[in-house]
Amino acid sequence: MLMIPLFILFGAMAIGCAVAMVAQRNPLYSAISLIGVFVSLACLYLTLQAPFIAAVQVIVYAGAIMVLVVFVIMLLNVEEEVRRPVRLHYLIPVSVILAAVLVAEAAFMLKLGSGAGHVEPVTQPDSGVGLTASIGTGLFTTYLLPFEVTSVLILMALVGAITLARQTRTPLAAVPGNVDASPSELGPRGEVLLQPGETAETGRAFARFQIEHGEAAAPAETKGEGER
Amino acid sequence: MIPLTWYLALSSVLFTIGVVGVIIKRNAIAMFMCIELMLNAVNLTFVSFSSYFGDVTGQLFVFIVMTVAAAEAAVGLGIIIAIFRNRESLDVDDASVLKL
Repeated sequence: MLMIPLFILFGAMAIGCAVAMVAQRNPLYSAISLIGVFVSLACLYLTLQAPFIAAVQVIVYAGAIMVLVVFVIMLLNVEEEVRRPVRLHYLIPVSVILAAVLVAEAAFMLKLGSGAGHVEPVTQPDSGVGLTASIGTGLFTTYLLPFEVTSVLILMALVGAITLARQTRTPLAAVPGNVDASPSELGPRGEVLLQPGETAETGRAFARFQIEHGEAAAPAETKGEGER
Repeated sequence: MIPLTWYLALSSVLFTIGVVGVIIKRNAIAMFMCIELMLNAVNLTFVSFSSYFGDVTGQLFVFIVMTVAAAEAAVGLGIIIAIFRNRESLDVDDASVLKL
């Protein structure tokens, strides 16, 4: 049968790309390996007769999410991870022992349940389970509420991402240690002209500057000039 | 047809690789990608069960998991950019305190 070599090929590709992703120290190379994992998983979905999910996997994961990740990696100019010395050497044998116990446990449970756990496929090869029509029908009839909740979730993610990534500008005079920097320029009536992005901290720094340098009367003088 | 256990074994192997990556990686973006790998391993079990039981619910759930993963990518990368802007580093050991 053709399915078994295909499964072995794409499964091996997925595992190999995943191991390469973890082993790479350059984040860009890990991202490219992760794209390999996604594409081989899409091929595995095709062997499971789920063409819609396979297409969405390629479009959303390999197309949208990974482009975003690669974009951020290049934007931040990420350097390679430095190899650092291992602390806590005694944990290595402990972890090996615990992993061996876990594998033995899993093998025991598999052996225990091997009689009843043999699942035969229910679907016929030409049933329309994985096709777009059945998924759309399910999404817009039985599972309409989860679908709508998902759209609200996406809206929240949109707002959150914009809020997080927005540049919040701190004014120069508000930086601690930089209080005595020259204050903002005065307007024609001697009032402080607020620049965009200035906060209450700027006003306090301005007032402190005036008190310390004896210029507290300066606005009054300019006010007098304005009346003249 | 391929036995269901093969798919489940492959999925558990991928999930374990993802967990190991989250534990041993120090780069925030690399840890993020390992989380994506774990989500994909779970998706594989959903699709294989759905296909073997002839029930479309599993694939609908995969659809929603993908949506959540996309939202997580947007917010997570926003957080990573904010951390990088404050600390000039993506190493999670440099970001071990919550305050900026």
